[in-house]
Amino acid sequence: MPTITGTVTIEDPIGFHARPAGQIVKFVKESGLEIRIGKVGENLVKANSPLSLMALKGKTGEQLSVEVDADDEAAGQSAIAQIQDFLKG
Amino acid sequence: MLATGDVLTGLGVGLEAVSAEVFRVKPPQPLPIPANHAGDEEAQGAKLREAVDAVGQSLQELAVKAGETSAEIFEALEMILQDESLFEAALGEIADGFEAGTAFVNAIETFAEMLSGDPTFEERLADIRDLGRRVAAHVHGIALGLDLPEEGRYVIVGEDFAPADTAQFTKAVVGVITIHGGPTSHTAIICRSKSIPAVVSCTAAKDLLDGTEVLVDPVGDRVVVGGTDSDITKAITFVAKNPEPIIPVRANIGSLEDAVAAATTAAEGVGLFRTELLYLSSTTRPSKEKQVESYTEILKAAPEGPIVVRTIDAGSDKPVPFLQMPHEENPALGVRGYRLVQDHEDFIVDQLESLEAARVASGREVWVMAPMVAVATEAEAFAKLAREAGQYKVGIMVETPSIVYDLRHLGGVVDFISVGTNDLSQYLFASDRMNPNLGAMLNPWQPALIQALAQIAAESKKNGIYSGVCGEAGSDPAFAAVLAGMGFDSVSASRSQVGAVRTALSSMSQADAEAVYQAVIGARSADEAKSIALAKLAQFAS
Repeated sequence: MPTITGTVTIEDPIGFHARPAGQIVKFVKESGLEIRIGKVGENLVKANSPLSLMALKGKTGEQLSVEVDADDEAAGQSAIAQIQDFLKG
Repeated sequence: MLATGDVLTGLGVGLEAVSAEVFRVKPPQPLPIPANHAGDEEAQGAKLREAVDAVGQSLQELAVKAGETSAEIFEALEMILQDESLFEAALGEIADGFEAGTAFVNAIETFAEMLSGDPTFEERLADIRDLGRRVAAHVHGIALGLDLPEEGRYVIVGEDFAPADTAQFTKAVVGVITIHGGPTSHTAIICRSKSIPAVVSCTAAKDLLDGTEVLVDPVGDRVVVGGTDSDITKAITFVAKNPEPIIPVRANIGSLEDAVAAATTAAEGVGLFRTELLYLSSTTRPSKEKQVESYTEILKAAPEGPIVVRTIDAGSDKPVPFLQMPHEENPALGVRGYRLVQDHEDFIVDQLESLEAARVASGREVWVMAPMVAVATEAEAFAKLAREAGQYKVGIMVETPSIVYDLRHLGGVVDFISVGTNDLSQYLFASDRMNPNLGAMLNPWQPALIQALAQIAAESKKNGIYSGVCGEAGSDPAFAAVLAGMGFDSVSASRSQVGAVRTALSSMSQADAEAVYQAVIGARSADEAKSIALAKLAQFAS
């Protein structure tokens, strides 16, 4: 399965806190996709773990790398867009 | 031993007072000490699975019981409880020899350590650690219920309450006191949403005994032992008698949206324009053109009157992505605010020049100040940079205790000072603003802070320096009256409080405000200072 990569920005004014982390995990579980997220240039963590996502301690304005194992580019991009949406606060 | 009339200070939640008998929540039976298993690794894993699922089940039941407002909290907790990486980490602990309960607590602790030190999660950590306790308790067959009475009227007293605890509150709980926990703790949030009067962060409540009658007086930020209705602190309603407040009331802003919204209030100009936002959300250094454009827009939108702009206030806990800010052990005491000039003078000069261009383009009256100035020579260096860059009034924030003693050297150096009360409290009382257990020290009514503020106002006046206050304290109408009474020339409040502060300062004369200040000088505690001020103000307000 190809890996689609992209970058998202934390726009939520309180940063990457429990709520967006929960929304992303729920999305990952429901979609059945394997998704990894992390700070740009650092190790990525599996996005099915709310604690690992919160432990990134993402701050407002920071960028995150996202990797999605998806059937095609479109499915991957749509997942990345969905994650960006959760980070809008 | 506490006696009738004793006052226990904390932080109030809610506006209504209540008196009832104390019910102390028993500390739960202690969990067994960390232990190894007997080599039955697989059975331990199964035991842990069962315990996690059982606790998850109980969280779902609590979600139903707690109703709509808190259901989301339990859903979030259950998601964390069922975190796959957490379970894998716990299995790793079992493989290392720990029994199921210890293994889960250790795994939770690993994640809790990763999350600690971040203000976004600090108060949630207690809730996450509580999950570990609950799983371990289930493994060992220990009950963690609060055993609250179903009938009667009680003020319950405990260390702090986790979501699983507050969901057990019965209708007999009419008031809540916690020894720890701050104004944003889970207990405070729940009590606010359920309209249960509460006083949190009330250290002295540890000595309250079952059966003692107490008055929970949230407006007064206190608990009164044996208190009656006559001890209730009433929120004062001020009625404006004069068209203008005794000193100008400005607004605090941080963005264009804030500036637009502030212009709809009665604010006379801006007392604090925080400029960080423009930089914190930017991965590369914004060009001067971009900075000028943003500042011009905001200056044009701001409410009529002078606009006090604070140069960048960032540090390693609030890092600017494009400036090098190495990790610091103690960011509140590190290279932050004006101290960035050490490595980034060109950036600060850029900001000052952009502000000057925006001042000219907008035609507004701009004052510029630097944060985190500790000594007179820094103030002199900043004033030199600023005056070279632009034609505005130049000042500094007063938020370090050391600069208070250097104000005598600043006559003719700076045009104005503005006190940041939150940071001044943090540094004066050596009390971390982010630590929920130190809330009582950061109460603006602390007599030592009042003394420091009075000294700042007097020293400024003596040296011909205009003085203002832009910290949280200025958003409290009663405290704003004390500040005016001390001789400050203006206050700046958060946008939502501008109207209330303005009304309060329009309801009295300067002599009235001085009388309020004179009355609080002798107070020996924050609680006493506040109640004296409110009693005095009630005379003018009515």
